[in-house]
Amino acid sequence: MEDEEEEARSLLAGDGALAPPATLPAICDPSRLAHRLVVLLLMCFLGFGSYFCYDNPAALQTQVKQDMQVNTTKFMLLYAWYSWPNVVLCFFGGFLIDRVFGIRWGTIIFSCFVCIGQVIFALGGIVNAFWLMEFGRFVFGIGGESLAVAQNTYAVSWFKGKELNLVFGLQLSMARIGSTVNMNLMGWLYSKIEALMGSTGHTTLGVTLMIGGITCILSLICALALAYLDQRAERILHKEQGKTGEVIKLTDVKDFSLPLWLIFLICVCYYVAVFPFIGLGKVFFIEKFGFSSQAASAINSVVYVISAPMSPIFGLLVDKTGKNIIWVLCAVAATLASHMLLAFTLWNPWIAMSLLGVSYSLLACALWPMVAFVVPEHQLGTAYGFMQSIQNLGLAIISIIAGMILDTRGYLFLEVFFIACVSLSLLSVVLLYLVNRAQGGNLNYSAKQREEIKLSHTE
Amino acid sequence: MKGGGERCWWGRRGPSPELLLNLLLCLAPLGLLGEETRQVSLEVVPHSLGPPVNLLHVRAAGTNSTLHYVWSSLGPPAVLLVATNTPHSTLMVNWSTLLSPEPQGGLLVLPKDSVQFASALVFTRLFEFDSTNITTSEPLGKPYSPYSLAEFSWNNISDSLDPATLSATFRGHPTKDPSRTFANGSLTFRVQAFSRSGRPAQPPRLLHTADTSQLQVALAGASRGNRSLFRLEVVMLGQSPSCPSMQEQHSIDDEYAPAVFQLDQLLWDPHSSGFMQWRPVAFSQQQGNRESAMPCHASALEPTLPYLVPQSPIVRAFFGTQNNFCAFNLTFGAPTGPGYWDQQYLSWSMLLGVGTPPVDALSPLILGIMAVALVAPGLMLLGGGMFLLLGRKQHLEYQSIN
Repeated sequence: MEDEEEEARSLLAGDGALAPPATLPAICDPSRLAHRLVVLLLMCFLGFGSYFCYDNPAALQTQVKQDMQVNTTKFMLLYAWYSWPNVVLCFFGGFLIDRVFGIRWGTIIFSCFVCIGQVIFALGGIVNAFWLMEFGRFVFGIGGESLAVAQNTYAVSWFKGKELNLVFGLQLSMARIGSTVNMNLMGWLYSKIEALMGSTGHTTLGVTLMIGGITCILSLICALALAYLDQRAERILHKEQGKTGEVIKLTDVKDFSLPLWLIFLICVCYYVAVFPFIGLGKVFFIEKFGFSSQAASAINSVVYVISAPMSPIFGLLVDKTGKNIIWVLCAVAATLASHMLLAFTLWNPWIAMSLLGVSYSLLACALWPMVAFVVPEHQLGTAYGFMQSIQNLGLAIISIIAGMILDTRGYLFLEVFFIACVSLSLLSVVLLYLVNRAQGGNLNYSAKQREEIKLSHTE
Repeated sequence: MKGGGERCWWGRRGPSPELLLNLLLCLAPLGLLGEETRQVSLEVVPHSLGPPVNLLHVRAAGTNSTLHYVWSSLGPPAVLLVATNTPHSTLMVNWSTLLSPEPQGGLLVLPKDSVQFASALVFTRLFEFDSTNITTSEPLGKPYSPYSLAEFSWNNISDSLDPATLSATFRGHPTKDPSRTFANGSLTFRVQAFSRSGRPAQPPRLLHTADTSQLQVALAGASRGNRSLFRLEVVMLGQSPSCPSMQEQHSIDDEYAPAVFQLDQLLWDPHSSGFMQWRPVAFSQQQGNRESAMPCHASALEPTLPYLVPQSPIVRAFFGTQNNFCAFNLTFGAPTGPGYWDQQYLSWSMLLGVGTPPVDALSPLILGIMAVALVAPGLMLLGGGMFLLLGRKQHLEYQSIN
C-alpha cells in the first residue's frame, strides 16, 4: 500500500559487493538468499500480532458486549480508540523512525506499545473496567499502524532491488492471515476458557484476550531478532540503518490538487463501509442468516481470506493494464452491489461477502498507486500520510456512528448507511474520472500509454 | 416451530399464485374487516350482585364491523376475540350463569348470526427453571414447580383502566405464596386496543392496525433462583380439530427491532381469520434496549385435552362444550446472554387481531436514502458525460476553424 517506501534508498544493493568472510554458512550470511528468507519470515511475523489482535473485538463481539455490559456504541469505541492516535501518528511514524528512534529501536518500541496495549486491553477485561480496555486499545493503536510503517521500511532495506514486491505481497498476505486466524480462533478459545473456568464473565474474556496477546509477544521477539540481525548485517556488510525516506511537510497540503482530494474522499468513504462493517458483522450473520457462531466468524473473515491471495494478482493486473480509475470504479460499484445484496436480500451471504472480498482487494491495488500519479515525488510522503490520517479519522468517527445506528435502528438501516457511504465514494470516482478527463490528466492511462510517456520523457 | 414452515416476504420469492388466491379467499368472507379506524371503548363489565370481578370488554366498532375483546382474570387470564359483521353487535353477560360451575351461555355476542370469527387464548401456567443446573435431559435447567395462573389473585382492573391510551393492566401474584417469592414481585398483563394503525415507541415496536390489540406480559421481582429461566404456557381454542399453524417469517427489515429479523405468527386457519403475531424477542429491562434483548422461543402447537389445562370460565361461557384446545410454550431467554436475572425483569409483547396480519414495509427514510444513493452517481455520470462530449465537440470545431 505504501509505495513511498519503495522510494527509500536501497541499502543492500548488489550481492557480494562487500563480500563477507567465506566461512559463514548461507543461512547466517546476510548477503545470501537463505539468510534473507529467515529475515523475511521474521518480518512477516512482525506484523502478525498486531493484525491478529486488531480484530479481537469483532471476533468476540457478543462476548465483549455481554461480559462488559456495554451497548454496541460503546463496543465500537474499541475500534475508534485504535484509530484516534493514528489520525496524528500517520504523519510522524516515518519521522520517528528516521530521525528519533532509528528503524531497529523504532520497531522494538512500536512492538512494545502493541504488546502493552493488548495486555492493558486484556487487564481491562479481568478487572471489569471498560475504560481500561479502551485505554488499552488506544495504546495498541499507537503501536499498530506505525509498526506497519516500520515493517515496510525493513522490507525496503533488505529487499530493494530484489524481491521487494513479492515481499510486500507476502507481508500483506500474512497480515490478512493474522486477521483470519483471529476471527476463527478467538471464539473457540473463549469457549475453551469458559469450560476451564466454569462460567462466562469478564474474567473469562480477559484471560482469552491475554492469551491472544501471546501473538504480540511473538511479534516483539521477531522485532528483537530483526534488530539483532539488522545490526549484524550492518557490521558485516557495512550497510546503514533503513530509512522510510518520508518527508512530511504539512504546508504541502495547500498544493494538493482536486483529483488528490477526490482520491482521499474515495478512500475514506470506501473504507468506512468495510472495516466497521466487519467489526459488527458477526452478529449480523448470526441473526439475519441464522449462521452458527463458528460459521459467522468464518464468513466475517472471508474478505481477508480472499484479499490474501488476490492482492498480488490484482496488483499485477492493474500494473499490466493501467486504467486505474476504471478499476476503482469497478471495485466501488461491486462493493455497492455487495452491500445491497446483504441489505435487501436473504441470499446466501457468501456471495455478497466474496464479492466484497474481491472488490476490496481490487480497490487497494488500484487506488493507492494513483496518489503517485497526481503528486510530485517530494510530496508523496505527505500525501500518503494525509490519506492514512483521513482514513483513520473517518474510521474513528464512523465506527461510533455505526454502533449508534445499530443500537437504535438496526442492521438494515446500518447497511443503508454503508450503502450511502459507498455511493458517495462512487460519486467521487465518477467525479474524479470527469475531472481527470477535463484536465487531460494521466490517471486513467493504460499501461501502454504510460510506457510511451515515460519513453518520450527520457528522449 | 415447524407448523406452516418458513415464508419470506422479500428476496427469496414473490407471492405465489396460491398465496394470492388464499388472500382473495380469506378477504372475501371477512371483507367487512380491515377497517382504517375504529371507535374503541373500554368497559369493565359491572357485577352488581357481588364482589367486583375482572371482566374487561374492549369494543372496537368500525363502519360495518365490530371486534369484541373480552379479557378476564376469572380463572386463568384469558381473552375472547369475537369479530362480527355489524357495527351494532353487543356483548351480553349473564353473571349468575358465568359464575356458576356450568357457565355455558354466560357470555353472548348479539346478534348471534353476525359472528364471523371467534376464538380464545388462555394463559395457563408459568414455568421456572434453574439454568445453573443444566443436564442433557433438561436443557433449560432443573424445573421448579410451575405456577398455575388460575391460582393467582389479581388487582381490580377498574383501577388501571386508562381511556387515553385505551389500555388496562392486570397485575397478579400467587394466592398462596409460602416462600414469599412474589413478595415484591408481580406478573402483569397489559392490554391495549388501537383505534388506528401505528407503532408504539416501546420495543419490539410491532406495527398495529385498528383490527388488532396488543398484549404485553411482564414479570418483575419474583424468582426462586439466581439464574431463572421462564416459560409461559398458552392454550388456544382452535376452529377445527387440527391446530393452527405457526409461521416464522424471515424479513430483511430490522429497523424497528434492531437485530431481530424474524416475525412469528399463528394463524387460526389458513384462510386467515384471526392471528397472533410477535417478534421472537423478549427484554430483560424496562426500556427494552438492544443489550437487554433475549430470544423468545415458541414451541410447536400440540393438541391438548381440556382436563389437562386449567379451564377458563369465560371461554366455556362463550364456546360451551367446544374443546379443540391446542397448547404451546414460549420460552424467554437462554442459559447464556441477557436474562431475567439482570434486573429481575422480563417483558414480551404480542398482537392479537383479525384479518391479514400487519406487514412491515421499508420506512420512507430508508427508501429516500436509497433513492438518492443510487440515482446521484448515475446522474453525475450522465451530466458529466454530456458536458465532456459537448466540450470536446466545441474543441473540435475550434480546431477545424484553425
